[in-house]
Amino acid sequence: MNHSTYVQLLDAACGAFLLAGVLVLWRRDLAAIVRLFALQGGALALLIAVLGVHEGDAEVVALALGIGALRALVLPWLLRRALAGGAANRETQPLVNVATSLTIAALLGLLAYAVSRPIVRLDPTPATHAVPIALTVVLIGLFVLVTRRRALSQIVGFLLMDNGITAVAFLTTSGVPLIVELGVSLDVLLAVLVLQVLTARMRAAFGDTDLDDLRELRD
Amino acid sequence: MTSVAFPAALGLTLLAAVAGLVLPRGPRRVTAGVLTAGGGAAAVVAGAAAMRGGDWSARLPGLLPLAGARLALDPLGGLFLAVTGAVAVCAALYGIGYTRHGGLDGRVPQTMVPVFLAAMTLVPAAASVSTFLLAWELMALASLLLVVAEHRSRDEVRAAGLWYAVMTHLGLVVILGGLAGFAAAAHSESFEGLRAAADGLPAAGRGAVFLAVFAGFASKAGIAPLHVWLPRAHPEAPSHVSALMSAAMVNLGVYGIVRVGFDLLGGGAAWWWLLVLAAGGASALYGILQAAVAGDLKRLLAYSTCENMGLVLVGVGASGLFAVSGARALSALALTAALLHIVNHAGFKTLLFLAAGSVLHGTGTRDLDALGGLRTTMPATTALFGVGALMASALPLGNGFVSEWLLLQSLIHALPSGGTLTAVTMPPAVAVVALSAGLAIATFVKAFGVGFLARPRSSAAERAREAPAPMLAGMAVAALCCVLLAISPGAVLPALARSVAVAAPGPDAVTGPVTLHLTGLAGTMSPLLIAAFLLVAVVGLLALLRVAATRRTARRRARLWDCGAGPMSARMEYTATSFAEPLQRVFDDVLAPETDLDVTPLKESAYLVNSVTYRTRVGDRIEHRLYRPVLTAAARAGEAARGLANGSVHRYVGYGFYTFTGLLIALAVIR
Repeated sequence: MNHSTYVQLLDAACGAFLLAGVLVLWRRDLAAIVRLFALQGGALALLIAVLGVHEGDAEVVALALGIGALRALVLPWLLRRALAGGAANRETQPLVNVATSLTIAALLGLLAYAVSRPIVRLDPTPATHAVPIALTVVLIGLFVLVTRRRALSQIVGFLLMDNGITAVAFLTTSGVPLIVELGVSLDVLLAVLVLQVLTARMRAAFGDTDLDDLRELRD
Repeated sequence: MTSVAFPAALGLTLLAAVAGLVLPRGPRRVTAGVLTAGGGAAAVVAGAAAMRGGDWSARLPGLLPLAGARLALDPLGGLFLAVTGAVAVCAALYGIGYTRHGGLDGRVPQTMVPVFLAAMTLVPAAASVSTFLLAWELMALASLLLVVAEHRSRDEVRAAGLWYAVMTHLGLVVILGGLAGFAAAAHSESFEGLRAAADGLPAAGRGAVFLAVFAGFASKAGIAPLHVWLPRAHPEAPSHVSALMSAAMVNLGVYGIVRVGFDLLGGGAAWWWLLVLAAGGASALYGILQAAVAGDLKRLLAYSTCENMGLVLVGVGASGLFAVSGARALSALALTAALLHIVNHAGFKTLLFLAAGSVLHGTGTRDLDALGGLRTTMPATTALFGVGALMASALPLGNGFVSEWLLLQSLIHALPSGGTLTAVTMPPAVAVVALSAGLAIATFVKAFGVGFLARPRSSAAERAREAPAPMLAGMAVAALCCVLLAISPGAVLPALARSVAVAAPGPDAVTGPVTLHLTGLAGTMSPLLIAAFLLVAVVGLLALLRVAATRRTARRRARLWDCGAGPMSARMEYTATSFAEPLQRVFDDVLAPETDLDVTPLKESAYLVNSVTYRTRVGDRIEHRLYRPVLTAAARAGEAARGLANGSVHRYVGYGFYTFTGLLIALAVIR
């Protein structure tokens, strides 16, 4: 793979990665959100695979395959299963409406670029130039956590953050050790399993998965 | 000797803790008690050996992460170790009988007493900052669990536990800050390294370290105004734990001040020791005033602890002051007096708290107004408390007298030789010691006379029963120690000289029989002679009276003169409140008692009184003025902060989001 192909492929993967993250804010259909998340998982896997091939590191390519399997297949499947149990499949009313959310996402992107300038300046390679994108996805994930009401959207927000963090890790280092990535992935899988159970319990208790119903539990 | 006895003490106490945890309810109490007493005895042996010069040290690199544990015993640590061990022997024997009832034979109290003892033996043996702080915190936690042991039966216990927990941890924070700063500046955390580096530090830095450390240790020693936890926690703890806390734990606060101030920081500026002296004097006066008007027997004893620790700090402060001005012999004398007072105070306070516990055990109440007449029902306890009260009241024949006399001597002898500073500070210090000694007599006359003599003033006091044998044994050991200390302090003083030399190197001021080698005036006193003289005088006087009385032939039996008002009832007796009333009146401005007089006249005439209600309450004024405003402000801030947490998960996550983005924005702007 020559250099320009590498850069183009990397940029394409990053673009898909960012776009999927932003579109999560746009869609209100929960099934569509899960699809977007799966797409983002695929983009992440592609991103890591491109990095691995460029560096000629077979272990990173293997990691990319594993991450792709987890984030594009297993986790979306788990989320879909959680979704199938409930009737309401739409994000009823986000705390911030869609148009404002997209504007804020743009501002968060700007912020991410501003903050990661020193990192890029430190070692200006195509990979580090993509760090702001990964950071934007982290911020968008946090934003989803703050503004979306449904438990499932919350899980997706959490997973967006995690995708972003993984992307930052691979973009700034030359390959994360297998054992670290394995630990992180297992952690995420367990978190999703627990959250899935929690969602089912919430639905059983409140008949809905609106997080603001939890307010009754205070005091 | 030390190398065997010290590990044996630790091993036995830990074995006792395991026994308390593992054994079933039946043999638990006795096994744990006997093992703890054995550990205490081993600690006495180890401490005594260390005081005789058997220095011992050990490094356990694997025990604590990063730094490893360092232990070392020198004569100074050995003294505190021996005192702790002796108190523990009495308290553990006593505890075997005392913990039979009231849920005190559960796993937690039975395990925590030995753990508490183990921590207290580790504190004076610690030889690095991390080891010291670890032992200190372990001691605080174990004693906290013991203070709240009876939280199910009384509500006050919970409040006391809360006060204690907060104060002890604030104390830990300042000590931690001071010692950590010291260790960072000295580039070493072992005491040896600190000692070597102390001279190279700037004066301001050393002053800051001393201030922080002094605040923390003074709070542990119950020095006003940081004493507020003590009169709450000590009375509410089970009585054998009260004895351990009041006679052994508070000493370690003084140990900290002496160890860090004299030994590690190597003396210092005059203002340090003026501060110590002033705090000690204020605490002595305030403590004994509060004790004089206290109506609760254990609260009275707790305030008396504040007083005695204050006197000890007067000695420590004077010693530091003399050392700064170059009077080495006087400095050693004042420190000897302070350390001797620690030993004596530990003796009589153990006895008094144990006897108070026996009263509580026998009658179910600690209220002096509701006691009285225990002489007939609890003769042994009465006699033992009487011994303790005599010891505590700084009169000849009491061990408290010896050390207070020595303290007064050192303060008075400073006058001819010292400069302006001593000339100004010593007279008030002498006055404080003298006044507190006088008030102490009134206090203990009240505690003994009103609490034990006369007639019972409540049915609880009437139905009192004598304490079981183990409790009496514990008290008897303490009383025996007190009497020995009182009659022949010469047996202890030479041993103290080495401990003093660790902190204040200089010529031995006190040798053999209590003889002072001082310039100008010479002071000599032999408690044994005084005791013999008093004994002869009392016996002679009694014999004389007897002879005089028997010469009259006709003896008529008649009722006591009662002003014609009929037989006297228990309601006519002095109560604790009425006994202390004149004192309360004299010190009205300091104590600020809240008195409530409510007179209800008859309907027919305003001049005929139907009923009179009189209520008086002496609160802790320092607590009221100093702590309440802070507590109310904190409570108000907490109430206001509830608005931040309205239960919405989104809001909580939002706080994180805003903080994170805010931080990133700040970074982006700054960089």
